[in-house]
Amino acid sequence: MTILALSFLLSSLVVFFASFASASADYHERLLLRPLPPSSLLASFNFRSNASSSSFEQQNFRYFPRSLGQILQHANTRELHLRFSLGRWDAESWGERPWGGTREGGTGVELWAWVEAVSDEEADARWLTLTNALSGLFCASLNFIDSTRTIRPVMSFQPSGHHSNSTIPNLHLLHGALPREPVCTENLTPFLKLLPCKGKAGISSLLDGHKLFDASWQSMSIDVRPVCPEDGSECILEIDQTVDMVLDIERSKRHRDNPIPRPRPAEELICDPTKPYASDEICYPLDSAFDQPWSLSEVFGRPMKGSCPLTESDGEDSEAVCINISDQRGIYSSPGAVEHKYPGGFFRCYKILDDAEFDFVIPKGQSENIPSTPLDHPLLYAERSFTGHGQERGGVQTLLTNPSHDSPVEFVYLESLPWFMKTYLHTLRAKLNNADKNSPSDKESLIKEIYYRPALDRHRGTQLEIRMLVPAASTVTLSYDFEKAVLRYTEYPPDANRGFDVAPAIIKITTPAGKPPLYIRTTSLLLPLPTPDFSMPYNVIILTSTVMALAFGSIFNLLVRRFVAADEVGTSWHLKASKRIAGKIRGLTRRVRRKGKVETEAKVK
Amino acid sequence: MALIFPAVSTLHRDPRLLGYSPYVSTLCIVIGVVWLLLLPLNEYSRQTYISENALLPGQVHTYFGGSEQHVFKAYKREVEVLNTNGTDLVAAKLDEIFKSAGLKVARQKYEYTSSGKRHSGENVYSILHAPRGDATEAVVLVAAWRNMSGELNESGVALVLTLARYFKSTKGQFLCNSRANHCLGWSLWSKDIIFLITADSKAGPQAWVDAYHDAHSPTSVSSLPLKGGVLQGVVVVDYPFSHHFESIHIVYDGINGQLPNLDLFNTAVSIASGQMGIGTVLQQMWKHDDGYRDRLRTMLRGMVNQGLGHASGPHSSFIPYHVDAITLQAVGEGSHDEMALGRTVESLLRSLNNLLEHFHQSFFFYLLVQANRFVSIGTYLPSAMLIVVNFTITAMSLWVQSGRPEAANANLRGHSGQTTKSVKADRVADVTPAQSAAVAERKLFLPLVFVIGAHFLGVVPLYIFNRSSEKVFSPRPISWPRATNMVYQMITIVFFSFTAFNFILPYVSAVILECYFHPTRQEILLIKSFSLLLLGMFLSALATLNFSLAFLIGLSSVPLTFVHPIPRHPKIAAVAGIFMSLLAPTMVLICSSIYWEIPVGNILIEAAFGWDVWGMWTQVVVWCVWWPAWLTGTVLLASSLVKSSNKQRS
Repeated sequence: MTILALSFLLSSLVVFFASFASASADYHERLLLRPLPPSSLLASFNFRSNASSSSFEQQNFRYFPRSLGQILQHANTRELHLRFSLGRWDAESWGERPWGGTREGGTGVELWAWVEAVSDEEADARWLTLTNALSGLFCASLNFIDSTRTIRPVMSFQPSGHHSNSTIPNLHLLHGALPREPVCTENLTPFLKLLPCKGKAGISSLLDGHKLFDASWQSMSIDVRPVCPEDGSECILEIDQTVDMVLDIERSKRHRDNPIPRPRPAEELICDPTKPYASDEICYPLDSAFDQPWSLSEVFGRPMKGSCPLTESDGEDSEAVCINISDQRGIYSSPGAVEHKYPGGFFRCYKILDDAEFDFVIPKGQSENIPSTPLDHPLLYAERSFTGHGQERGGVQTLLTNPSHDSPVEFVYLESLPWFMKTYLHTLRAKLNNADKNSPSDKESLIKEIYYRPALDRHRGTQLEIRMLVPAASTVTLSYDFEKAVLRYTEYPPDANRGFDVAPAIIKITTPAGKPPLYIRTTSLLLPLPTPDFSMPYNVIILTSTVMALAFGSIFNLLVRRFVAADEVGTSWHLKASKRIAGKIRGLTRRVRRKGKVETEAKVK
Repeated sequence: MALIFPAVSTLHRDPRLLGYSPYVSTLCIVIGVVWLLLLPLNEYSRQTYISENALLPGQVHTYFGGSEQHVFKAYKREVEVLNTNGTDLVAAKLDEIFKSAGLKVARQKYEYTSSGKRHSGENVYSILHAPRGDATEAVVLVAAWRNMSGELNESGVALVLTLARYFKSTKGQFLCNSRANHCLGWSLWSKDIIFLITADSKAGPQAWVDAYHDAHSPTSVSSLPLKGGVLQGVVVVDYPFSHHFESIHIVYDGINGQLPNLDLFNTAVSIASGQMGIGTVLQQMWKHDDGYRDRLRTMLRGMVNQGLGHASGPHSSFIPYHVDAITLQAVGEGSHDEMALGRTVESLLRSLNNLLEHFHQSFFFYLLVQANRFVSIGTYLPSAMLIVVNFTITAMSLWVQSGRPEAANANLRGHSGQTTKSVKADRVADVTPAQSAAVAERKLFLPLVFVIGAHFLGVVPLYIFNRSSEKVFSPRPISWPRATNMVYQMITIVFFSFTAFNFILPYVSAVILECYFHPTRQEILLIKSFSLLLLGMFLSALATLNFSLAFLIGLSSVPLTFVHPIPRHPKIAAVAGIFMSLLAPTMVLICSSIYWEIPVGNILIEAAFGWDVWGMWTQVVVWCVWWPAWLTGTVLLASSLVKSSNKQRS
């Protein structure tokens, strides 16, 4: 059934493809796989399609999704960035983030856009339209991005598209984050629907909700931006969709019908025989340095269903699957796919036939000598946590570590805090942890610039942007204190005792001129606020309701009931009738009983 | 209100009321004590239940077992070897074992000095990141290298190491193929799990949890290099022997008598006994027949532990940070092996993992009479409050009495509450109501100075006991072996000299008071009134925080209600004075040390350690609430002796 449907789809797509062969450059997709230590796999899916600005204006959508395009037009949005993320990137083991962190968001949902409007009020109104429309489109609570969660970053984001000089003064950058939003399959389905091949063919056919949301870290992103070619031809609107995920190879390979992780049989344990106590019963476990064998279908739960026919048929753009692995490692791919090894020794790509299923197997590491894929080390490590305890106040501290031995790192640190976390800016400290006597250790030399927009109760949150510097091979502790506000009774969510999520901090690392900036996001935080005992008002409500009911009942009774003496009540016809009937019945029964008695007496005699 | 005021004021003038006050006080005390004794009965205690539905205790299958036992045995051997080879290598080896399990590891050094003794060590901990989590919440699994009694926690540490490896078994040690579906790596954890091996049970956990919340002093405790999110629960494993165990002893008391949420305790009980079939005991009641006597004994032991406010296990340090924690202690010799304890811990962590919110549903104030029965605060609080209120009633009646002119008071002289004579005297006074209606001017200066002075004087013993040995040894704090003896001897000497001083202090104060200040009868009444008023106020506030401490101090201060200067009966006063000296905080300490067979020095060293490291407040209550009240009462009694001797002399 599915094969039939697929072949039908493919044939129709082939027809479609043939008729628009000239426009094939408008769609591009690629999957990049990179093994990560210790036993994980980074899978980066990238889908890019274009629409010329004139066809976009005329609502003539071909590869650009109509649903999204119309929303953008309606909300006058010129550039859009939407992120859905889950989990955390383990920078210490996995190195630098994919795409330099530009295609990921903080935990939950993050959205920022450049909206064209003449005034702030109009921009806010259009932002509201945009968030509500996107909320419907992506099945996410984006409509909860209200004024308290919206900020207007000043230093952290720059438009990545080309905007004409006439529109730039009217562009408003608005940014909102929902750290609490659980990202799940209901967000993946609309995401896939935006793709021209809709998850039926090409690399998107590998995207399965079960695998994607079982990943150790995953991020889905949508970027829409106008791009004007340098040759002066017509500007295009580009939509770039990415799905990045880090799969645990062992976990992904576990069969879905037997997911229970039981301890393995004793004979499969790898023990250290050199221990003096080593025996069959006692096993000091050892690590093994093998690489895992894995295949595409094992890791993703299904093989790839051919290539998406809308992509380019020749050249590098036609190679849909790439692996970042040593050339010395043998890979067995399914027939028909063309392997292309790139110079450098760690990169190869596959061109896949349109209609054949594609799969490959990476066997167990044959020798110990095969080099593992080199990892780029991140420029900066950031770790944020709460300090202090109690219901009244607390503090936030961020450890920013520069691992480089020679060059300092300059970056912009952006915090978007909820209004009930009342920060004390005077407590902002930047402390160099391993301070030498001659290195700059005071706040002034580390912090270059601060942009601060204080919170207004129930109207807007705190926005704090700090441009600062971490010297080479050192750690800077950035800390500030805050006070916890007491919320109104109705402002608490149903699970108030869980705490309140604080959106991740966004760090934009400025790189040498000409290179795009890198981004890092910290993890989100859970802020416990003073929480009333909610069962208490409930008890009070119940008790007062009971009292009210009793009082009302008795007063109502007194007011409405008319008290009448028994003899005042006149006899009516039905009363008389019922009395008469009752008398007759009584007489009848008496007679019957008497008869019975006589009979028994007679018997006795 | 207009109707009530005259009624109250006539009542207030009615001298009969004053006569009743000692009876009312006595009644309050009796009811308070009987109330407490009734609590273990079925009618007053309740069956425990799980309030937080998310916990679902014992609803999961646990798989810890099989080949993990082989690993456990190996780790236990390693622990034993480390113990014999010396403590320097412990942290490094634990670090290595955690790393080989694929976890992120960090270490923390700490060094506290208390009573001139150095407590130092190194904590090792590792964090298992929840596979899909976002680092907002964490649960902690702790094993102390040495438990509270200083024994090597060999099986406990090995169990935590094995569980850490079991919970996070990745790193490609095993080749997964279609035949063997045994690849681990669970995606079911929603919270980070922190595995913590502390160097000892007293200072180590405190250092770690202080640093986790950045509440540590950087001079003695180093910061944590690795952190997770908000701590939602802590389970401590204490299994200091190799043989199989009989039951699990659940320790739950926190510092300053704070308790973990009852839900956590209930979950542990229901998993251990319901799912695993392991018996649970509490408060060292190894045999519990669920009869009245055993229930009462369990409750009283719980109250003593709560009242002392000390740490009863490594978990205690977490509770002041509003992190619910318990210790599971394997006890006895029986049929359950370490795997059973491991499965219990696994199931308990799975339950904690289910939590959607911080523990808040169930009780934080309770007395346990048995593993399945508890008394809630609403039921037990009145008993302490009734005892405390007797001080307030007496204080108020003394205040009223002090406002009477001397002539009226003359009729009341000798009224100390115990004899019926005084009541008769009251009746005589009743004949002249007009006289008693007048209010004499109260001279407040001397009484206020005396009572406040006595309370501030409490700082002296507090300082002496917490700091004296520190001062002596401060130039160079000494480490364990030598310290024990020297500090112990020193603090014992200090204590007994203070006890002796404390014995004569009331008499000296009484002589000074009588000879230099010549307090009038009214002033003496006011001194007693203020002292009892403060006692009642402090204890009633304390009862809501630490019920047991308030109850115990309240009960031992009960005679203070009834002691009164009786210059006409110097012999009775002398007997009462000796009795009061026996009830001094110092003497109570000596008596309890004899009863529990713990040297006084050890108790004081522990108390000083509690003050320095744990932030324990028990001493403050003893020396700044109980001792001043006792001192005032005894001084008043002694002053009657002084007065009578003065009279004889004249």
